[in-house]
Amino acid sequence: MQRGFGPGAVFLAGGVLLIAIYFALPTGTSADLIYAFLGLASVLAILAGIRLNRPDAVLPWMLFALGGAASFAGDVFFHYRASATTPSIGDGFYLAAYPLYAAALLVLLFRAGGHHRFAALAEAGIATFAFALFQWVALMHPVLSGSGSPGTRAVAAAYPVGDLVLLAGCAGLFVSPAWRKPSFWLLVGAVVSLLGADESYTGLGTATYHVGGPVDLGWLVSYVLFGAAALHPSMRDLSQPRRSAKLRVSSWRIAVLAAAILAPSTVLLVQWFRNAYTGVPAVFTATLAISILVVWRLTGIMRALERLRIRERDARTDAVRARERLAAQNERLREADRLKDEFVALISHDLRTPLTSIIGYTELALEEDETPLGEERRGYLEVVSRSSERLLHLVDDLLFVARLEAGTGLEIKPMELDLALLGAQAVDDIRPRAELRGLELHFDGDGPLMVEADRGRLFQLLDNLLANALKFTPAPGTIELRVSPTPTGAALEVSDTGIGLPPGDADRVFERFFRSPQAVDAHIPGTGLGLFIARAIVDAHAGRISVARRPGGGTTFRIELPAHLPAAAGHADPELVA
Amino acid sequence: MNDASNDVRVLVADDDEDILLLVSTRLRRDGFEIIEARDGDEALALLREHVPTVAVLDIGMPGLDGLEVLEAIRESAELAGIRVLLLTAKAQEQDVRRGYAAGADAYMKKPFSPAALSQAVRELIAL
Repeated sequence: MQRGFGPGAVFLAGGVLLIAIYFALPTGTSADLIYAFLGLASVLAILAGIRLNRPDAVLPWMLFALGGAASFAGDVFFHYRASATTPSIGDGFYLAAYPLYAAALLVLLFRAGGHHRFAALAEAGIATFAFALFQWVALMHPVLSGSGSPGTRAVAAAYPVGDLVLLAGCAGLFVSPAWRKPSFWLLVGAVVSLLGADESYTGLGTATYHVGGPVDLGWLVSYVLFGAAALHPSMRDLSQPRRSAKLRVSSWRIAVLAAAILAPSTVLLVQWFRNAYTGVPAVFTATLAISILVVWRLTGIMRALERLRIRERDARTDAVRARERLAAQNERLREADRLKDEFVALISHDLRTPLTSIIGYTELALEEDETPLGEERRGYLEVVSRSSERLLHLVDDLLFVARLEAGTGLEIKPMELDLALLGAQAVDDIRPRAELRGLELHFDGDGPLMVEADRGRLFQLLDNLLANALKFTPAPGTIELRVSPTPTGAALEVSDTGIGLPPGDADRVFERFFRSPQAVDAHIPGTGLGLFIARAIVDAHAGRISVARRPGGGTTFRIELPAHLPAAAGHADPELVA
Repeated sequence: MNDASNDVRVLVADDDEDILLLVSTRLRRDGFEIIEARDGDEALALLREHVPTVAVLDIGMPGLDGLEVLEAIRESAELAGIRVLLLTAKAQEQDVRRGYAAGADAYMKKPFSPAALSQAVRELIAL
């Protein structure tokens, strides 16, 4: 939640107005009052900003307020208790403000700079040393070696030193990620105004300064901007640590650094050209300091690069390892797949071989060629025969589903066939079983009704549905297979007068291993695979299967098949696809 | 019982003792003379020795498998007339096609009905 800049804007406008009034008024008591008031207002604005914006770090802003207070004290002594001695008490308060401001900037830098603060510090140091060299050669050395009492000269030289400290802090913040915030720009404005005024004060010579002159403008503006910076809501962000912040490589930064590095040689060249004081020891000191900082920064960059390289290499090693793991896993999956195929083959062979004996010998025993069987024994053998047929059916169904699950899908070998003829055959095939159970069986349909389909699979589908109907229909009952043409192909309907389906089960009967609770309760045998297989066969033919309650009790399964298979379905012979 | 079958020889080859007995028992009831073989090599040797009318061959056998025995029959001048019924547990379509391609006259999947097998053998003899 950020507040608006309302209070800050009011303060800024009021400040500008007061500055205007200050310059409009003749020098005197009223003007001095305004000057002093602006200093006090700046301190109060900073304190108000802390209260309003509640920054995470209060310390830097308290330091700004303290610096402002020291400066305000300086004003009071300068205007009201002016003394002829140099340095005056006012100078003491003024100079005390600089370390406070600089400390505030440094604390902000350390909090906002995140993990790049050392890089920021090095770059700020480079810029500061370059500026210091200029300060020394252009301002401080002439003042110190000029005329006047030692005290006057020392104080005059002290202001540029204070500016240096301020600039260092500012430069540090400049290379930190804080520099996009309005509050930062207000702060920079305040520091630059202060610097400009100070430089003019020393450069023009302290003697030429007069109250109400242009130098005052810089100092007053800096008061107003310090206050406004603290009142702006973005001051919160300045002191918020941003660990993830990236150090931007802007052309500005590069230009400033390049200029700073060139500063010593430039100073030497300009002073030599002017035939003025060259300050070789100062140039050397600045060069040395800048070089040390550049090497420090370079070392940091190289270390960071090395770390990056190591991380990249590790990532690559990890990727290679992950690929190897994946390959091993694939190998295991292939192995599992192979084992599954072997298992399917095992069921196919090893289960069917003993079943061959059971079914064959039971049939042999039931044939009364040599020894007549008693009625009781015949009954036993018929149970064995029925059970083994059921077991064989189950093995076949499981095998079918296992192949389906192996992902090979259901292969169909489509051909043009007469659905009416096939339906009639399927009904004839199951008729003995229907009669045995006392059920009526009807076929309804006029041929030829040609569709493109796999004869074996379609026969299996019809057999499945008819056997299903048989299972769920108690005698007396009727089962009917109807074959009819549709606009796109043909439809098959298997209806029975059986126990029917509860409404909720209609959607689930085609699920693998689904068994209706009704069927389970009635002890109707089954695996829940028949209709799953039926749907797989219909799907492979690009058809649709649905189930509905038959009016008057029972169930109707409806299958719609297209006359021609889409090219993608099954493994259709292209010549057969119209 | 059809006495005319008495002089008809049928070779039955299967490595599974129970199945071998099942097939030969059922075919003996029809009155055929049965020659039993327990692997492909024995089957081929007995075929050369007796030259039966019909051979009922299991496909999966040690040594020569049923299909290889079938190929040997079709390549040999004196055996080429033997009618061959292949019997296998492998329910795959490829085996059916390979069997017919190799020159089989009939094909039956295990498990099978002994009565149906007997019917199939009688149909082969009637050819």
